[in-house]
Formats: sequence, C-alpha cells, structure tokens
Amino acid sequence: MQKILAIISVGIRQMVADPVQMMFLLALPILMTWVMSFLPVDAYEMAILGVLVMFVALNLITSAGGYILEEKETGTWQRMRASTTSYWHIIIGYFIRLFVTGLAQALILLLSSKYLFGAPWQQGYWATVLVLSIYIFAMTGVGLFLAGFVKTQGQVQALAMGVVMVGTMLGGVFFPIDNASPFIRGIAQISPQSWAATALRDLLTAGGSLSLLMGPLLWMGGIGLVLLAGGVTKLQMEG
Amino acid sequence: MSILDVKDLKKSFGKNHAVRGISFMVAPGEIFGILGPNGAGKSTTLSLIAGLLRPDGGRVLIGDYDLHLEPQNAKKMIGIVPQEPALYPMLSAEENLRFWGTINGLRPGDLANSVKRVLDIVGLSTRARDRVNTFSGGMKRRLNIAAGLIHQPRLLIMDEPTVGIDPQSRNHILETVANLRDNDMSIVYTSHYVEEVEHLCDRVAIMDHGHLIKEGTLTDLLSHGHRHQTLHLHLHGSSKTLQDLIAQLPGVEQVLTENGHMRINAVEAEPIMPNVLQLVKQSGASISNIRLEKPNLESLFLQLTGRGLRD
Ligand SMILES: Nc1ncnc2c1ncn2[C@@H]1O[C@H](COP(=O)(O)OP(=O)(O)O)[C@@H](O)[C@H]1O
Ligand SMILES: [Mg+2]
Repeated sequence: MQKILAIISVGIRQMVADPVQMMFLLALPILMTWVMSFLPVDAYEMAILGVLVMFVALNLITSAGGYILEEKETGTWQRMRASTTSYWHIIIGYFIRLFVTGLAQALILLLSSKYLFGAPWQQGYWATVLVLSIYIFAMTGVGLFLAGFVKTQGQVQALAMGVVMVGTMLGGVFFPIDNASPFIRGIAQISPQSWAATALRDLLTAGGSLSLLMGPLLWMGGIGLVLLAGGVTKLQMEG
Repeated sequence: MSILDVKDLKKSFGKNHAVRGISFMVAPGEIFGILGPNGAGKSTTLSLIAGLLRPDGGRVLIGDYDLHLEPQNAKKMIGIVPQEPALYPMLSAEENLRFWGTINGLRPGDLANSVKRVLDIVGLSTRARDRVNTFSGGMKRRLNIAAGLIHQPRLLIMDEPTVGIDPQSRNHILETVANLRDNDMSIVYTSHYVEEVEHLCDRVAIMDHGHLIKEGTLTDLLSHGHRHQTLHLHLHGSSKTLQDLIAQLPGVEQVLTENGHMRINAVEAEPIMPNVLQLVKQSGASISNIRLEKPNLESLFLQLTGRGLRD
C-alpha cells in the first residue's frame, strides 16, 4: 500500500512540477473552452464537451504511453522492477495515478465550463461522473496498450493525435454530421469521443437516463479492459 | 560463503549472444571488477544479476537465495546503480531517496534516517532539498549511488559509475566505493577504465564478446604468462648505433625507435636501466623524458584479444 501510494504521488508531483505539462493539461483546454463559449448557444454546449473529451483523451493516451516510455528511458522503470515492489503494485500505482489525473482534469473543465463560461447544466452529476470514469478507463486502456507495443515517444504522440483527432473531429463533436457521408457517420458510430460527448450532453442538458447509455458504456468499458489487459501483459513480459 | 554466485549465465538478443555462459563468485566485503570494452556484455550481465532480464540459461545465487526461485529475498539484498542516473528530475534529492526507500520496502519511520545516512555517504547533504534537474552530471551520479544504497543492501551493483564526469566527482565516487567496501559491502563494479579497476578492485574479470576471458586478483592477472616491461625514452640525438648497443644488453628483448621515442622491451626493466643510461650518455644523446611501464590490465587485454580496450 505504501508503495502504491508512493508511485501515485511521485507521478503526480513530477507532473505538477512541469509547467509545460500543466499548460497542456489545464490552461490550453480552459482557453479553448472559453473560445467555444462564443459559439451560438446550440453548438457551444457540444463543443465545450468536445474540448473536454478531446483533451482528456490526449492527456491519458500520451501520458499512459509516454510516462512508461520515459521511465524506461531514464531507467526509473528498471530500478522499480529491480526492487522488491511487485509488478502489479507498479501497474496499479500507474493506473490510479492516470485515472485520478484524468478525472481531476475532466472535473476542473466541467466546473470551469459551468461557473466561468456559463454552461446551463443543472442535473445528472453522478451519472456524469460515471460516464467520465468509464471514458477515462477506456482511454487509459488505450494508453497502456500503446505503452506495451510502441517504442518511442514520437510514436505515442502520433498515434494519440491520430486516434483522438479522428475520433473528435470526424465524430460529430465539433460540427453536426447528420447530413455527412456514411463514412463520417460510421466513424461517429465507433468514436469513443463522440459517444462520450453525446452521453455527457444528454445527461447534463436533457436529463437523459443512464439506462439508455448502458450499451455504449459497456462497450467502451469492454474495449478499455481488453486493451489494458493486452498492454499490461506485454509490459510484464518485457520485464 | 559467497554473496554472489553466478553460474553459466547466458543471454542472447536474437542472434546477438550478449552473454555466453559466464561464471564467477563475489565474496563478502570484496570489490569485484568487470573490465571490458563497450558492447562486451557488462550491462547485460548486471541486468541479469538484478533480475531485470530473464537469462536463457544458468543461475544467480544472492546470499542463500536463488534469484529465480526466491526473487523477493534475493532482490532485498541487492542495490543497483545503473549506468545512467535513474532519478526523477523534477523532484528533490530527498524526495527521490524517500521514494526509492519506500519502493525498496523501508518503513515510513525509517525513511528520514536512511535518507540522511546515504546523503552523507555521497556528500550531498547540503543539496537535499534541491531539485535533481539543477544538479551537475557528477552530482546526479552520486545521488544515483545514494538511491542504490538506501535500503542497506549487502551487494551493490555499479555499472560504469564514472563515465563522462569531471575528475573531482570521479575521485569522490571512487573514494565512496572504497569506503563502502571497508564497511563490509560487496560490490560488482563494471568499467572500461583500466586505472579505476586497478586502483579499486580486489578481483577482476576481463570480459569480451560475452565471455569472461580471464579472472583473478590483480597480481594473478598481471603475472599471467611471460610479461614484458617497457622502458620508454624520449631522446635528443639518438642513433642507430645507440639502438644496436642497447639491444645487445643482457635481458633486453627488443628495441624500437620512432621520432626520438625509444621503446625498450625487457623481461625486467629496472636492472638494465643503469647500463642504458650509461650508453645514452656515452653516445652524446640527451634524455628529455623517461618512463617505466609495468604490465597493466590494458596491455594484458591487448595481449589476450589483440585489441585495445577503447577502440
Ligand atoms: N535490450 C537489448 N536488445 C538488443 N540488444 C542488446 C540489448 N542490450 C544489449 N544489447 C547488445 O548486447 C551486447 C552487449 O551490450 P552491453 O551489455 O550493453 O555491453 P556493455 O555494457 O559491456 O557495453 C551489445 O552488442 C548490445 O548491442
Ligand atoms: Mg554498459
């Protein structure tokens, strides 16, 4: 337990001490949320949720993949693996740290949207946290999967950008796609960013019921679990 | 009883046989040096001992524990000092050490004292609260050693801890290592610097292409075979006649002269020195520099492999 806590806290302190990371994590998405708030009211709600799901995904995929690669490069990963701390403790520590930073980032963005930029949300908070948690879980899975199979920081960045940009931009998050080509609508069907943004909007604005979202949530959770298991197993085999 | 017993250890990366079946033992309180050029397989050997790589064959005993069968007990006894400092740059020296202490199973109550102890050992007490990314290369390497010592291991594994740092930090590290040994720590120390290994290590293994090609105390190694000593003279006004006269002295085996630099190979150089000096004086030449080279690990490596350590 001590060991897991130490891994979580070192990771978070490393991150908080780095101004560039903090800018990417919070300052940039808050700025973009502010810009989006000038959109006409029917587009803007979806757009600020789009900013949220996009930055949370970018953060989780790049950091889950990036942190482990970085630690392998500096050798702190190997030093942990040479210690008496078990592999599972290390992975649980990483996972919790990623999950907590992702959730904190998402909540800060939600709160700033509501209280700084006037998003008209009044309801569905618990369901929102649940949807966010599953989304964050899935994105952490993608990141840890990349960590197991990808060799350089550049590859992590490129893949994260690809997955997230396609999922967000073509997923109908920033502009309506009802009249778009079947190809684009197909992407929206499978894009986790699109699901998450839509689910969040339904919950926060329309007071939609969680039971209608069960299918997509299970699907997202399942994908996350499979990728997580794959990445974690691969990392263990590599030592 | 030995603290480390390595038997027939093997590791390949694809077709690259990095470690090809090596065996050695390290006694308690001993510095065991592994000397070899880049790519010899030193780091791979240490990774195998630290349990970071799974060997293709052979076994590692640490104290009484087989690393493969009882990794927890075995790993508790080892501290590692990786080739590149493995630290968190955004955290302070103290925060780093507390972390590595926790990861290695120290209880929270013991952390403060342990951190203080190891910072003292490496001479960084005054920089405890400074961030690692403000440290010089030498200081990072010292902190890297401290992190390996935090849980008071019986065996410290050091991978080229002095590569690329300033002479002052280097001397500090060499002193630290010698002190650790004097406090009964066992150390495996890899290097491609002959002087360091000669100065520091109680026993030395010479490694090349994944093999340990020679192992023993320094004296053992250097008395290996029929070794020559070389007398180097830098001369003004040397002549062919002088060279021939010196070559005829009893005990001299070979004389080579190049640009006024005369190399005299002899079984033992000291006894022939008075005669050499007298011949030089008689010939009218003058000596600007004179040096006696005894057999060292560098020349031994050259003799064993036909190559230098640093090419
Ligand atoms: N992880 C690895 N994957 C593939 N080859 C490796 C790996 N680590 C080391 N090698 C190769 O094994 C050989 C020995 O390397 P190493 O143990 O680092 O030597 P040294 O530490 O003596 O310089 C080299 O040829 C090196 O390229
Ligand atoms: Mg090496």
